[in-house]
Amino acid sequence: MDKKRILYVLLGLVAIVSVMLGVDFWQRQQAAALAPADMPPGSIPIFMDGKFVASFIPDDLAQLADASFVDAEEGKTQEGWLLRDVILLYIKESKLKDDTQITVLSSSREKAKSLAWVEVNAEDNMVMFDLSGRGTLKLVSKIPGFDLRDLWIQDVDKIEVVR
Amino acid sequence: MKKNYFSTFQLILLALFSALVVVAKIALRTPIQLSGHSGIFWMAIVIVGAQVVPKPGAASMIGITSGLLASFLGLGDFGMLDTFLSYALLGIVTDLVLWILGGNAENVVVAVLAATLGHTAKFVVKWIFGLVMDAPIGFVALGLLKAIIGYIVFGALGGFLGWLTLKALRKAGFFAYLAEKR
Repeated sequence: MDKKRILYVLLGLVAIVSVMLGVDFWQRQQAAALAPADMPPGSIPIFMDGKFVASFIPDDLAQLADASFVDAEEGKTQEGWLLRDVILLYIKESKLKDDTQITVLSSSREKAKSLAWVEVNAEDNMVMFDLSGRGTLKLVSKIPGFDLRDLWIQDVDKIEVVR
Repeated sequence: MKKNYFSTFQLILLALFSALVVVAKIALRTPIQLSGHSGIFWMAIVIVGAQVVPKPGAASMIGITSGLLASFLGLGDFGMLDTFLSYALLGIVTDLVLWILGGNAENVVVAVLAATLGHTAKFVVKWIFGLVMDAPIGFVALGLLKAIIGYIVFGALGGFLGWLTLKALRKAGFFAYLAEKR
């Protein structure tokens, strides 16, 4: 077989991967230049009663316990970190009441889901973030009525807490 | 009378392979929590299909038909257009690489490279959709690289599995049987 042709194909693959990584790197640089120092690129800002509290950053993942469940719809394992644990990293539990509204938003998908703290706090509900294939966060859960893929919030970019 | 490019028998075979791709996506599950792991199954099916119907365009037909089936079944989480385009481009790129490399998927290098590029093309469609929809950049810095590696590795494994299947089919006399049918 022509080795040159194999080389062309391999070069094509390298070029595709390089373009994707190059664009991702450029996007990160742009985001880093525009965002405040406490909001690194890709981080998820958390607001409480309209005020910025903190940004959920990848470095914080080490402090969180892993969580997982198998979704009933497709039998896929959803694996990540509980939303409850993420919120408690930045907000004291004493500030949260059962009816405090936790809203997780995705501006690119134009989707949002509001849940009461009591629902988020219940471990059986498995309200958690799963890491999508592209590395963004997806809010998933086992709560009846919010246990289907179409309803889950992909590409999460904001968390709001309203007391 | 003008002869059709694909015979009716070949079109039936291609439709069966297309259905198999969708069934594999829905029914076959692996416990691997890595991006693109299902590529092991469907790239194997696409490679086998492209060799069972050894004409340029066979993989594209499988990609387009399975894309139509998958999008109407609601597979994928970026919507119908993304599902259709990702499956279709997977087939088209596999075809293109097979054509560049001489078209014989019974050669392990050809099968692996065609499946790798085809599967990567599927990820490229998803990535472009993310850009177009202004999706946020990855939460984990190396998330994209990890996903790309996943698609490349599982695509290559799918190509290898397809090559093994073709080898078994050849040994079992399937291609001699097909030659009689044609």
